[in-house]
Amino acid sequence: MTAFVQILPVDLSAICREHIGLAVIGYSVVFFSLFLLFLVFTIIPKFLTRNLRKKFQKAGGEEKAAFAGNMIQGEVSAAIATAISLYLEELHDEETAILTIKKVGKSYSPWNSKIYNVINFNRFQR
Amino acid sequence: MEGFVRFFEHSGFVNTTPGHLLMILVGLIFIYLAIRYEYKPLLLVPIGFGILIGNTPFAEHAGMHLGIYEEGSVMNYLYMGVLKGIFPPLIFLGIGAMTDFSPLISNPKLMLLGAAAQLGIFLTYIGAISLGFNNPEAASIGIIGGADGPTAIFLSSKLAPHLIGSVAIAAYSYMALLPLIQPPIMRLLTTKKERRIKMKPPRSVSKLEKILFPVVALLLTGFIAPGSLPLLGMLFLGNLLKESTVTKRLADTAKNAMIDIVTIILGVTIGASTQATTFLTQESVFIYILGATAFMISTAGGVLFAKIMNLFLSTENRINPLIGAAGVSAVPDSAIVVQIEGLKADPDNHLIMHAMAPNVAGVIGSAVAAGIMMSFLL
Repeated sequence: MTAFVQILPVDLSAICREHIGLAVIGYSVVFFSLFLLFLVFTIIPKFLTRNLRKKFQKAGGEEKAAFAGNMIQGEVSAAIATAISLYLEELHDEETAILTIKKVGKSYSPWNSKIYNVINFNRFQR
Repeated sequence: MEGFVRFFEHSGFVNTTPGHLLMILVGLIFIYLAIRYEYKPLLLVPIGFGILIGNTPFAEHAGMHLGIYEEGSVMNYLYMGVLKGIFPPLIFLGIGAMTDFSPLISNPKLMLLGAAAQLGIFLTYIGAISLGFNNPEAASIGIIGGADGPTAIFLSSKLAPHLIGSVAIAAYSYMALLPLIQPPIMRLLTTKKERRIKMKPPRSVSKLEKILFPVVALLLTGFIAPGSLPLLGMLFLGNLLKESTVTKRLADTAKNAMIDIVTIILGVTIGASTQATTFLTQESVFIYILGATAFMISTAGGVLFAKIMNLFLSTENRINPLIGAAGVSAVPDSAIVVQIEGLKADPDNHLIMHAMAPNVAGVIGSAVAAGIMMSFLL
């Protein structure tokens, strides 16, 4: 610490109550605003699912009613969504279309003629 | 002959100083880091090249209107977007259109980590005061701890425009170096057992919740810290464009073409603003040192707060303290660092989705911090 102070011109007496006040209040306000957001978004999902919970409670499903507020996990809904998407888009391993291989005739050109190919060099060597 | 002499006097060879050469070297290092190691290439390439543009020597005050600080030059006009704080909100609009807040909505308690990781801003502010900076300058330096380039540029443009270049360069270069800065602190403050904690998978979030989030969050944060409105207003607007799903075209433009254009201009002008004659000062060195300290304190703040939260949480709801480090905004780099560190401790433990929550909360937190600083000091 002493070495650090020697290298940098640190002057701790420059820090006054006003500076510390700003830092403390500033940090607290950041915390407070995000804490408020935390509170609101803890309540909102419960509020949004209240009808569902009531419906389950009326139907006598106390266990389901308790679960309604928690909702399903993201990875479960991702798996369901993928399954539905695959089903709707009919993506499957076996293709329904009949694939045929058609022989394509190559038209002659001196540029692709076999007799001018460099590979023929070996044949001449023999 | 006279014309030839004048031409020679205006050339870079005559006007070169060691400072110019040093800054050219810095620019080349930025470009090298971006291309060779892919450290934040979208930012470091324009900034690095901007440093080359700004530090190619020429006869200043010769009336050619070339330098970024010379009124009437093209670069000066482009730099107005930085000086007047126009570019940062536009970048936030794009970021909002790219951001998925659902990890945060599904586990709202992680918002507190985004707040805790702003510790570096306020402690560095105090540190800057002790180094002789005045109040607005210290606040501009402290905001580097938020690890959010646009927020740092926005606050500096309002409080200490003469420090924009140094603050932005420090913020962006440390953001590029996050994979080197954060892991040692994360490992130092956590045990191996803590790093192995597996968190509950996040629940699915309804469309209504995703639409409500930007509206409610804007009103709440805006009422508390109106100074953050230009940034958070655009961030949440961008997010609403995305989540409403009825403005797909606008969201696409905001997150692609618009943010790309603004990033290029912002990067080049910030780079060019590091003209050796104005940038190479003792102040810049101090800002660099304080910036690194701010990043380290913010990382430590997030990790330690996660450990404190664990004291009050049940075993199945416990948080892996590594994700606290993602509370510094740097989206998504710090979340990626957390994922990598988590995998090192347990190859089956994927933390990235959990880390994205404090990461995006950090963006909100640092913008609120900037708003508070503005309200106090303007």
